Amino acid sequence: CSNHLPALFFFWLGVFLIIMERRGSAVNTPASRPVTRRSKSYGRSCVEAPSYFWQTPGHLAVLKIPNSRGTAKSQTITNKVDPEHIALLVKNEWKLSYITPLHHFRHTRLKSYSKHLSAFIVAEKQQGVAVEVGLEAGFKVTFSAVLGLAENDEDAETVFIQIQSKPVFAAVADAPKVVWRGWLTCVNGDLEYLRSLPPDFVSLPLFCTSGPESLTTLVKSWFERVFDCNFGCLALNSTTLNWLTALWTGCHPTCNIRHLKLAWSLPTQPPLDVSYTVNPQDAWELWNSIHPEESTDDRIDIQEVQSFINGLEAHFFRHFKIFLSAGTLVKVSTALGSAHVDGKIKIGNSDYITTLLTLLTECALLKMPA
Amino acid sequence: MDAQVRSVLRRVIQRIPNKNIENLLKKWNCLSADQLCALDYTRPKWMIVEQVTSFCEENRLNLKHITNLEMIYHIENPDKGVWHACQLTEAQDDAVGVDLTQFKEQFKAHLHGVVRHISIKIKKHEDEAIWIRIAWGDNFSKPNHLKPTYVVHHLHTSYVFISNLMAKHKIFLCQALVIATKHGSIKDGHLSTRSLTAMRELLLRRYQQVTYPAMFTVTKHLFAGLFTDPCIGKEHSEHEEMRYQMSCEAFGHGPTPKLETAVYRLETRYRGNGNHTLSDREEFFRGVVRFSSSSLLDSLRHCVASGMAEGPVTPLLSAITQRGRNYFVITDKGPGVSSQASAQRA
Repeated sequence: CSNHLPALFFFWLGVFLIIMERRGSAVNTPASRPVTRRSKSYGRSCVEAPSYFWQTPGHLAVLKIPNSRGTAKSQTITNKVDPEHIALLVKNEWKLSYITPLHHFRHTRLKSYSKHLSAFIVAEKQQGVAVEVGLEAGFKVTFSAVLGLAENDEDAETVFIQIQSKPVFAAVADAPKVVWRGWLTCVNGDLEYLRSLPPDFVSLPLFCTSGPESLTTLVKSWFERVFDCNFGCLALNSTTLNWLTALWTGCHPTCNIRHLKLAWSLPTQPPLDVSYTVNPQDAWELWNSIHPEESTDDRIDIQEVQSFINGLEAHFFRHFKIFLSAGTLVKVSTALGSAHVDGKIKIGNSDYITTLLTLLTECALLKMPA
Repeated sequence: MDAQVRSVLRRVIQRIPNKNIENLLKKWNCLSADQLCALDYTRPKWMIVEQVTSFCEENRLNLKHITNLEMIYHIENPDKGVWHACQLTEAQDDAVGVDLTQFKEQFKAHLHGVVRHISIKIKKHEDEAIWIRIAWGDNFSKPNHLKPTYVVHHLHTSYVFISNLMAKHKIFLCQALVIATKHGSIKDGHLSTRSLTAMRELLLRRYQQVTYPAMFTVTKHLFAGLFTDPCIGKEHSEHEEMRYQMSCEAFGHGPTPKLETAVYRLETRYRGNGNHTLSDREEFFRGVVRFSSSSLLDSLRHCVASGMAEGPVTPLLSAITQRGRNYFVITDKGPGVSSQASAQRA
C-alpha cells in the first residue's frame, strides 16, 4: 500500500475537488480526472484516506435518503424491452442483493463470461462443493443483455444470467432445464454517484436471483473473484415498503390493483401475524384524500406516505385497539407486485416495473457499505 | 378386498408415523396376535402397508372393518383436517329426552331416505361424543369412501362439529341432524379450526375464563417522595397488573384452546385520524383483517398484557372466546359484533 500512497493522495484530492465544484451548482463532471494507478480493491478501505474524508470514492455526501419521489408512471415497457425478457422477469419471485461496482466488466464480453462461469461451476462441483441440483454433469450458462430497462444516461444495461443443466443420462433430444436465473440492473441510479465512479467500474447495484441457494453462492463467488466486488443481502425496510404501498395504491385509476394487502408481524409469544386486505377503491380514495390526483405536483412526499399508512393503522386501531406500530410491516402486495421485508419481490405487472426497479436500485445504492 | 378398500387402508396407514401404527392396530383388534408380532415397524412405510394389506386379505376383512379402522384413527387423532362448528337452535320440548338409539335411528333413516347410496357409521366414544362417518354416493354411484365426512356431536349440547363436508351434501346432513336431535334449525357457528380439541374446549366446556385473583394494592404513599425509581417502577407495575388482569378476563388465565386464525370482514365507515373528507363519506371502508398465529389466543393475550393492545379489550377480540367463533362481519349498524347468517366460513 505504501508505494501507492502519493498516487492515491492525488486521486483523493482530485475527487475532493470534483465534489467541491459540484456543491451548490449544477452537476458538471470535469473533463479530466487525475489519472493515477488505483488499487484494484474498490470499496475495501485498506487505504489511508485523509482524515477529513473517511469515505470511499463515489460514496460521498451525494447519496441522501430522498424525502420525495415521482409518482408511479406507467409505460408499456414492452415497447422498449424484448417481451420475452419481460416475461421472465414477471414470472418468478426474486431474492434481492446489492453488489458494489464491478471492475472491468464489459457488456461486450458476455459470451466469454458465460463460458467462464460454466467452467467455474463445473470445477467447483467436481471439487465437492455441494450443488443440490442432482446428477447433472453439464451446466450451460447464458449471459444476455436486457436492453431498454436503463432509464438515465448513466445506467448500465441490465444483464440477465440463466443457468441450465442437463441430467447425466438424459437423451440428446431432451431440452436442458433452467435451474437458476439472476439479473443485475441499475434503473435511474443516482446520477452524481454514477458519474463519480472511476472509469473502470460499472455499477449494476441490484442483483435479483431465483433458484437454489448453492448456485447463487457459486455465482456470487465467481463475480467476487473476477470483478472484485462484494455482495450483501438487501433487506427492505419499512420505509421502502411504505413507499411501495403509496406508489402502488396511486396506480389504481390506471391499473386495477385488485387489492392492497399489508402484513404485519407482532412480537408476541407466539408471534402474531396480522394481514389487512383493503378494498382497492377504498384504499385509493384514502390515498387520494391525502395526495389528490389533480395536484399539479408530480411528486409524492414522505409525509403523505406516512399519513396514508397512519390512516390505515388508525382505522385498524379503532376496531381492534392494537398498535400495529408495535410490530413490523413485513409484506405489501397488490396486483402490481409484492415486496417482503426479507428482500424478496415479485413483479406482477410490467407496466410499472420501472418505478419498482428505481426504488430498489436506490435501496441497493444506499445499502452499500460506505 | 377391492381396490377402493385397499386405497382406504393404505391412506390410513400412510398417515400415521410408524411408531403409532402398532397401537392403532391393537385397538382395532382385527389382526391376530401372530400377525401383529410379524409386523416390523422399522421397515419403510410401503412395506408395512403391503404387509398389513396382505394380513387383511388373509383374514378376509371387508369394507366395514377398514372403515372402522379409519374411524378409530380419526377418533384418536382429532386434530387433523379442518373442523367447522354448527349450532342447533330452537330446541323442541322433547329434545332433552333424545337418547343415543333414537338419534341413530332417526339420523340414519332420514339420510337413507334422501340419498340413494350412502354409508353411515356411528360410534359412541368414552367421552360421550358421538362420531359419525358418512361416505356419500348419489343416484348413480356408490358411496365414495375416500372422501368421507366426519361429524362429532355431544348429545344434549347444541353444537355439532363437521369436517370435510361438500356443499352439495350440506342440506342433507343439516336436515338429518335437526330431525334426529329434535331441534328447529341449525346455523353456521362461524368457527373453524384445525384442532377439534380446541373447538370443543372453546364451545363445550365453556372455556373457563378465570378472573384474575384480586391483587393487593400496594399503598402508594409508602414510597412517595423518597426514591423516584421505585415510584416509577411501582406506577408501571400497577399498569402491568391492570393490563394482565384485562388480558386474563378476555382470554383466560391458563392454557388457551389452540385456535390458529380469526377473520374479520370490516364494513364500517372510515375512522382514521383527522381525515375529514373520508370520515364524512357514507360508504364503507371495506377490508378483511386476518389474525394468525400458532396459538392465537395466547398471542392476543400477550398483546394485551404487554401493552401492544390498549385496554379494555375491544369486544371484537373478546368475542372470540365469549361467543366461541372466529369469523365475524363487522358493520356500523350497532355496537359490538353483528353477524350475518349467510356469511361464508373462514
